[in-house]
Amino acid sequence: MDGKVIVVTSGKGGVGKTTVTASIGAALALQGKRVAVVDMDIGLRNLDVVMGLENRIVFNVVDVVQKKCKLKQAAIKDRRIDNLFLIPASQSDDKSIIKPENMVWLCKKLRREYDFALLDCPAGIEQGFKNAIEAADEALVVCTPEVSSVRDADRVIGLLYAHSITPKLIVNRIVPKLVEKGDMLSHVDVVDVLSIDLVGLVEMDDAVVVSSNTGNPIVQQKDSKAGKAFNRIAMRLDGHPDLPVEDPMGHDSFWRKIGKKLGRKKQE
Amino acid sequence: MSFNALIRKLLNKPDNSRSVAKKRLQFALVYDKLEVKDDMLEDLQKDLVEVISRYFEIDRESLSLDIQRCEGSSALILNTPIVAAKHQKKNQEARAGA
Repeated sequence: MDGKVIVVTSGKGGVGKTTVTASIGAALALQGKRVAVVDMDIGLRNLDVVMGLENRIVFNVVDVVQKKCKLKQAAIKDRRIDNLFLIPASQSDDKSIIKPENMVWLCKKLRREYDFALLDCPAGIEQGFKNAIEAADEALVVCTPEVSSVRDADRVIGLLYAHSITPKLIVNRIVPKLVEKGDMLSHVDVVDVLSIDLVGLVEMDDAVVVSSNTGNPIVQQKDSKAGKAFNRIAMRLDGHPDLPVEDPMGHDSFWRKIGKKLGRKKQE
Repeated sequence: MSFNALIRKLLNKPDNSRSVAKKRLQFALVYDKLEVKDDMLEDLQKDLVEVISRYFEIDRESLSLDIQRCEGSSALILNTPIVAAKHQKKNQEARAGA
């Protein structure tokens, strides 16, 4: 059976697309799927360093598209996680080197070879974005609970709909304390404004910084809240769409704990 | 509602930055969607002049077309002085000619 190509996009830069791509890719592979993560940010590659694979690049996605090498030759195998592969971007070209028709061809190859291919889309809505969404089957839109990020997400969601893709939302870097204080948009606000399906809520987590410093997958760190959230997103993408989205709010709220003790239903 | 939010409500504290953010966001998105390119307005104006001229003699120079925005909604405003109404016959000729 053919695999799925999922593009991870956001419009705004710096909201965590690359981390989300790397983490969900790793989580899916840990669940036993054959996964490729593809860096579509030609000229500004970063997925390789986030995954700690920067020293092993030989070929890149532009070489594949230009048929200078086979897809398998460009795919770097992760040594820590079985069945996880990175196809890096080229650092010396620019986005216009890949054409939409190349993407149709590439995605067909990816579907044949892998169960999931996650495309890390560049920021912006220009050529690089257009390439990344061109032949994708599904889309994950990442945003943080900030006005600028949600606005850009809305724009990108519109463009995805126009391309006949129904995106799903990941709200990243939620700070429950700030939400509780009334100083950060809650995920309910964000979903209310964007009105698309939610696939995951990821709490702000220092461990993400550490894991990107060292190039280790956050999903393998058992006590990381963000890691757990990414694992759950991966499960939702892979056969468990109804797994409830966990609300990061009030993990250690005193009143909530009492509520739970008194048998109040756990919020989902 | 969290306990903190409840307390805030009871104390009748002013709007916090979260609700300000949400309102600003909602307005920004409405305005973004209403943004129209100038050449589209020009094209619309040409088309409207053509249609109106079938029924009225108008002063083309002083016709104005504008989008006005007030809170949460926006309106297309067309303003044109009418010189005279055209006769039905002329109308049909104009249509046949078009």
